[in-house]
Amino acid sequence: MKVYSIEQWHDGLLNGTIDVSLYYQQLQKEALFQQKRLNALTTICFQTPPQDLIFNSLLAGVPYVLKDNICTYQIPTTASSRMLKDFIPVYDAHVVQRLKQENACLIGKASMDELSMGSTNMTAITGPVYNPWDTKRIAGGSSGGSASLVASGLVPFALGTDTGDSIRRPAGFCGVIGMKPTWGLISRYGIIPYAASLDAVGVLTRSVQDLSIVLEKIAGYDFHDMTSSRLSIPHYRQNLSLDISNVKVAIIQNIVDILEDDRIKTLFQNCVSLLKKAGATVHNITFSQTYLEAIFPVYQIIANSEATSHHASLDGIKYGFQSQGQNLEEMIVHTRSQGFHPNIQQRFILGSLALKQENQEKMFKKAQKVRRLIVEDIQKILKTYDIVMIPNGDGIAPLIEEAKSQSHTLVDDFLIIANLAGLPSLTLPCGFVDDMPVAVNLMGRCFDEQTVLNCAYTLESMMPYCRQYAKGERNDV
Amino acid sequence: MYEAVIGIEVHCELKTKSKMFSMAPVTFGCPPNTQVHVIDMAMPGTLPAVNKKAVEMAIRVCHALHMDIDDLLRFDRKNYYYADLPKGFQITQYYHPIGKNGYLDIEVEGETFKIPIERVHLEEDTAKMTHNDHYTLIDYNRAGIPLIEIVTKPQLHTSQQVVAYLEALRLILIYTDVSDAVMAEGSMRCDVNISLRQSHDSILGEKVEIKNLNSLVNIQKAIDYEIERQTDLLQKKLPIARQTRRFDEKTQTTVVMREKQSLLDYRYYPEVNILPVRLDKQWIQVIQKQLPQLPEQRRQRYQMQYHLSLQDTMMLLSHKDLSDFYDQVVSIYPHYQTICHWLIGDVRAYLRQYQKKVSELLLVQDFAELMHMLEMKKISSKQTKQILEFMILEKKSPYVLMERYHIQQVSDEQLLSQYIEEVLHDYPQQVADYYAGKHQICSFFVGQVMKKTKGQANPQKTNELLKCLLEKRKV
Repeated sequence: MKVYSIEQWHDGLLNGTIDVSLYYQQLQKEALFQQKRLNALTTICFQTPPQDLIFNSLLAGVPYVLKDNICTYQIPTTASSRMLKDFIPVYDAHVVQRLKQENACLIGKASMDELSMGSTNMTAITGPVYNPWDTKRIAGGSSGGSASLVASGLVPFALGTDTGDSIRRPAGFCGVIGMKPTWGLISRYGIIPYAASLDAVGVLTRSVQDLSIVLEKIAGYDFHDMTSSRLSIPHYRQNLSLDISNVKVAIIQNIVDILEDDRIKTLFQNCVSLLKKAGATVHNITFSQTYLEAIFPVYQIIANSEATSHHASLDGIKYGFQSQGQNLEEMIVHTRSQGFHPNIQQRFILGSLALKQENQEKMFKKAQKVRRLIVEDIQKILKTYDIVMIPNGDGIAPLIEEAKSQSHTLVDDFLIIANLAGLPSLTLPCGFVDDMPVAVNLMGRCFDEQTVLNCAYTLESMMPYCRQYAKGERNDV
Repeated sequence: MYEAVIGIEVHCELKTKSKMFSMAPVTFGCPPNTQVHVIDMAMPGTLPAVNKKAVEMAIRVCHALHMDIDDLLRFDRKNYYYADLPKGFQITQYYHPIGKNGYLDIEVEGETFKIPIERVHLEEDTAKMTHNDHYTLIDYNRAGIPLIEIVTKPQLHTSQQVVAYLEALRLILIYTDVSDAVMAEGSMRCDVNISLRQSHDSILGEKVEIKNLNSLVNIQKAIDYEIERQTDLLQKKLPIARQTRRFDEKTQTTVVMREKQSLLDYRYYPEVNILPVRLDKQWIQVIQKQLPQLPEQRRQRYQMQYHLSLQDTMMLLSHKDLSDFYDQVVSIYPHYQTICHWLIGDVRAYLRQYQKKVSELLLVQDFAELMHMLEMKKISSKQTKQILEFMILEKKSPYVLMERYHIQQVSDEQLLSQYIEEVLHDYPQQVADYYAGKHQICSFFVGQVMKKTKGQANPQKTNELLKCLLEKRKV
């Protein structure tokens, strides 16, 4: 099966070199093959018969997958949780409606960490998702299924969600481009949340161009989401430019310094050189060590406090998994004890604790205050600089048996700043270490996706990693 | 003696077209679970969107209660698990209510009290549960209907004050056109917090909450019973438990619903899916300007300017549609008393009979003409009754109806004199009685004239002429 970029696909449709129904037959086979190899799908659906396609949009007929916390009308949406194992939504998320209007073709729902709570994609009820570059390794999470499937070449794009680094981490591990846009750029209506003040819908692709195309189609105001922005959406793809001579980039030196693997450091320094070569101004700066160390605890308290109340609706009464009990209270307790993995319950307990009246001041409210300080600090940097560039984590995807759900380093933690401050943040592959992908991350100012995209576009043009994919050997089926 | 310290929480359903955070319609009496949006069921992924009309209605009530209005609209989550709470939390305004520090003047036995109101806030209603022996039914039609909660400071002291406060508040909710405020139907609900203390400055006793009160009568009884019960306990030096109680109609007492050992922790925190909304100050002012005249202002006008009795005034005020109609009619013909009597008398009887609003039965102009004819003595009150009935049945102007049914008043003196002469001629014995001093026999003669004219004789004129003619005969 040939692998296309979105533009190639569209051209192929227009000049008749692509036989859509033949392609979809192959695609179906390929999906089953990749499913055996990667375990990245929770549902295979191929919902739209692609015969009577109208080529009204660049996305017409383009196959894609959605992270399984994005609600799809009449198609199971499980959030990879036992709690929603058989849940079938009665409505489409806003982004799904938008993609339907573009005639894009949903072919499946992608596995994720249960309720987006994890960074390994090992906690899905359907089991771990494997990395297409090495199936002994994890894909990362929580949008692991989405990243893995894009990296396998099955689909040109996937949607994911990002609360801490849930798009960018698996994108980095799987060698694809993943972007978490500004909080409020894309409607969250229909997204099963993790933590509303941090959650963002985002896109995973194999090229900056494809990412720009999809982002433009799904961004914009939605009256269902009061937090969605009313700003008009720029033509990201049309505005893509290789001229970054006016762009000022800050490198967080104390993050680079703690990288343990010199090979990753070298790949990162290569990106710095490439940016300079392209004409950007690049400065090394230092980020407050105190704030750096505060990021993770602040994130944990806020994310889990919000999560515990977002998921209070999962009580077994209205939909989803339901257990038994002598009375209503007992039924709710049994449902929630059996429906959520103990790790999830642990997070809920932490969240509830932080919100308790006697703890709120010293936990939840304190976390909010520190969040504010961290946000002010990064915004101060972004007053001087257009872009902040850091390594996207300090290692390659771990082996399955070595992966731990809660493991994180200060390098990983810095990605969370984009969620705390609502910034656009894009992860881009920048090389290989031990035959596994390594990535850099670019953050920009709120609603300035374009500068982030342009920098990524420039870097991409100077590196050979655009449109790479790991299809897998046919004989390992 | 002990003094009762009472605070009142009122929940009032707003009559918006759609719900507080979803586009499902707000309706009553529809089949269960037919007026439900995915948002009301808290389907995964749904988000709330604030209903602007509900905010406007809350502001109207705030203006009417002289509250300080917070122009930064903010919502919070109240977290608890219950089967009637779809999201597992209720969106309310805990930290920043839309209205603060207001008051409402009430009158009890001629004495005026200023009842301080602590807060007015917006929130959403829960689903309605119907409990049966072995199962419970949940109707989500009610889930998400906008509510305002109005909380007084604990500065009421008697059941009479509470009833007067609730009556006054109910009128405000009706006159600001935000709710039907019918306690029996649950569109206005009342919780009472009550504790006792020895004297005015001593420490408050343990607080008892009485919930699920569905009528003013029961509220009064519940409070009186509770004061008695707590006084008894205190006199016996027994502790008062912090409890939630309800009024039991069978025994006419309050009974325990649940013990409140410690306060429930609702883990309030700001609602993340609704960013603070800066309300336009001009919009808030426009809402105030467009506020209809409130019951208190109308009461003063009716009593001071129109000289209506207190009883008539209260009767008019307690039916907003009658009061509105009255104001329109008297603006055409200022026959204040006559119009009031007819409205709260005959017209109100028809309203009850037909279960309709006055504007559905009568046109302002027609009714004004009818009242004017009566006042100008062109028709008798008996004829007015007749015409009124035809007006309601046929929806025609009084002139058309008078013509159609040959209703008119005979005031022509010559003609009336002729009828009177005939009557006097027919009843010589009664005439003799009159001359013998039995003057009350006059009404008999008037009655006979009425009979002859089929009720169309002007009774006053007839009476005058009759006396005149009798005196003439005497000579």
